[in-house]
Amino acid sequence: MTDRAELARLDDLLRPLERTTWRFYALVAGLAVVVLLGAVAWVSQMVIGFGTTGIAPPIMWAFYITNFVFWIGISHAGTLISAILRLVNAGWRKPVTRCAEVITVFALMIGAMFPLIHLGRPWLFFWLVPYPNRRLIWPNFRSPLVWDFFAIGTYLAGSVLFLLLPMIPDLATIRDRTTGVRRRIYGALALGWRGTAEQWARLETAMQIMAVAIIPVAVSVHTIVSFDFAMAPVPTWHSTIFGPYFVAGAIFSGIAALIVVMAALRRSLRLEAYLQPLHFDHLGRLLLLMSLLWAYFVFAERLTTWYGNDSAEIAVLMQTQRGGFAPLFWTMIVCNLVVPVALLAPRRLRTIRGCVIASCSVCIGMWLERFLIIVPALGHKYLPYRWGTYRPRAVEITITVATFAAMTLLYTLFAKLVPVISLWEWHGGERLARSPQPTAMPEKQLTDMRQ
Amino acid sequence: MTALYALFDNAQAARRAIELVRAAGVPHREILVLSNRPLEGFDEGRSRATRQWLVATGGGLVGLAFGTALTTLTQTAWPLSTGNMPIVTWWANLIIMFEMTMLGAILATCGALLVFARLGRSRKVYDPAVSAGQILVGVERPRPEQVGELQRALRAAGAAVRTLE
Amino acid sequence: MPHRWGMVVDLDRCTGCEACVTACHAENNIPTVGDRQAARGRAMHWIRVERYFEGVFPDVRVKFRPVLCQQCDAAPCEPVCPTYASHHTEEGLNAQVYNRCIGTRYCANACPYSVRFFNFFNPAWETPLHLQLNPDVSVREGGVMEKCTFCVQRITAAEIQAKAERRELKDGAIAPACVQSCPAKAMVFGDLNDPESEASRLARSPRGSKLLGDLGTQPKVTYLERQSPV
Repeated sequence: MTDRAELARLDDLLRPLERTTWRFYALVAGLAVVVLLGAVAWVSQMVIGFGTTGIAPPIMWAFYITNFVFWIGISHAGTLISAILRLVNAGWRKPVTRCAEVITVFALMIGAMFPLIHLGRPWLFFWLVPYPNRRLIWPNFRSPLVWDFFAIGTYLAGSVLFLLLPMIPDLATIRDRTTGVRRRIYGALALGWRGTAEQWARLETAMQIMAVAIIPVAVSVHTIVSFDFAMAPVPTWHSTIFGPYFVAGAIFSGIAALIVVMAALRRSLRLEAYLQPLHFDHLGRLLLLMSLLWAYFVFAERLTTWYGNDSAEIAVLMQTQRGGFAPLFWTMIVCNLVVPVALLAPRRLRTIRGCVIASCSVCIGMWLERFLIIVPALGHKYLPYRWGTYRPRAVEITITVATFAAMTLLYTLFAKLVPVISLWEWHGGERLARSPQPTAMPEKQLTDMRQ
Repeated sequence: MTALYALFDNAQAARRAIELVRAAGVPHREILVLSNRPLEGFDEGRSRATRQWLVATGGGLVGLAFGTALTTLTQTAWPLSTGNMPIVTWWANLIIMFEMTMLGAILATCGALLVFARLGRSRKVYDPAVSAGQILVGVERPRPEQVGELQRALRAAGAAVRTLE
Repeated sequence: MPHRWGMVVDLDRCTGCEACVTACHAENNIPTVGDRQAARGRAMHWIRVERYFEGVFPDVRVKFRPVLCQQCDAAPCEPVCPTYASHHTEEGLNAQVYNRCIGTRYCANACPYSVRFFNFFNPAWETPLHLQLNPDVSVREGGVMEKCTFCVQRITAAEIQAKAERRELKDGAIAPACVQSCPAKAMVFGDLNDPESEASRLARSPRGSKLLGDLGTQPKVTYLERQSPV
């Protein structure tokens, strides 16, 4: 590998950091306006009262909790790609890892906002933190919402660190290419990274450990989110399948979001040489697999409910099969199963465009899926006198749209400050020792060589 | 002299340089190799890798102890009955204990990395060419009588020798 | 032996007049939400009379039942509250601590009887109706959940009085507002731990059943089946 090729690659990947056009400012300004509208909507909800939303008994959770589950689900993109593929040594994951990890961090941050937004008294959210006090305030560790707090907190801390650790060598590279204030900031963040052989070995071991640790955390997070529903005696919520069902759905929507983000980055940052059709093909196949897995869960769940013939559960089931929610249900099936299988199964159609269309369809379908789990069930609980309907109001729609803008805004700002493709994970397998010496070589490298 | 080093374009050239420096009498531990990507076959850190796993496990155990204490002790200290469940609901507490275990392992791993990789301390020997793709091979604080031999070895491997005072 | 408060509602006596609903509003400072909010289902009737119409005109039958918080012994609303705002007291009541409630509304979702209510706005009473507020009961702010408490203020007042006078509580000494106001005397309130109390005796009646009893919530309100033909 020559110096020139390396420098050209660094130039390509660091160009967004080193050159800014008016388009960037226009995009940031536009997104910031939408996010600001969302903030205004939330403040108005707090000042005027929660009644400005469409929430009404018996449907006490709707758009906000749908968004919560949706964004936490999206956050499973990073973990799957980074951690699982890292552990199975799939080389094609390397340019994709940081894109995915960034999605995880920002999706978690946004998702974690919604438990605050949906509170009746959000200024008291800190009572979920177990801090010593004399006011007889203490979190209830039996409550799934407290489990949410601990799980999402752990996952967020883990994901941020999982993102930051492999960023350190890249921050050192940027430090060496900038001057002035930026150099000092990047230098401070790079923590004096030099790139000694020992540092690389320690970093790689640390990433292995993090990958092994973050996967069970990710699985537990969405399982615990599903427990928000499964632990309540609401017809069709109280199901043992919810844990695996939600995790599969999360990975499904996460891959879809990743494909969309990657395509957007590829186009806007001119990364065609780095995010190749091969990557989209592999992710597209994973998306197809998850689509079939999702369909399997939905089928098993619904067939079991139908056979069970419990009157309350049948009432809820019929809402989505024949009642008022049927159009949304069938849209969801088309979006989550028909479109992905049609576009991703035939190899000729599994192009970048095909993958992106399928992914957008899946994002819509998975949002609908969360909505259809929550609202029809709450609207048809055990006492028919208290059955009800739900219609979102402006404040909920505004905040929902604003979170999509917030995600895009955060990602845009990140791509301006840090390269979205890892600079150092590109390489692989360069050796400094002439031949394998069994006594002198660490086992990890022996295994790498065998694969 | 703080350091004597040369920059190489690729791993083969760096490998030759390392062998020549070794032959000039410098022990493996004292050879400095800097690169902008991991290069295999140089660092024999297997035992230290195991130590990282042990630190992570230790951190996990601390987290487990914390999670258990947090839930069990506080539930006993302020017993509030909910839903006909026992006061100390160990099934539910397992979830908190699990999350705290993983958090402990994760934080311990990151903290240990800072220590093991000596991050955060001031850099001594470095050349910005490393981040552009060159591999630096050299010796920190060479003995004065070795300097000539080292310079010959590095030049023989095919690169211009630089010094850092 | 601690008390274990329960209630019996005789559906044979209930006329569906909703005097209990009105009395509850008056006793517990429950706001009236207005016609537009009520049309959206946000009315806050801690006790409500559910009406179901069966059959086709002219053979229409009306079934009605007063539904209030069942003070379940295995209440599903209690474990899910993140701040212990909903918890079980030693006297068997499901307490709602307004000051700890942050308004997640999980308890409302978990309650199969839909007897938990959310304050969507800060309540307001037009003057001079604010003069009618009961000083024994707090006024809840927007964002807080509330529900029937079996008029715990009356229970506590009677218990304090009995303790001060060093005597036992007599059966029938405590009457929540709904029980007190029912013109048909359809509701009975008492100590289920006292096998001789009227509530205990009526709860053992063969006409007795629990609402949604098969859900495992162990409600403490027993409904006595209606036996009149209409």
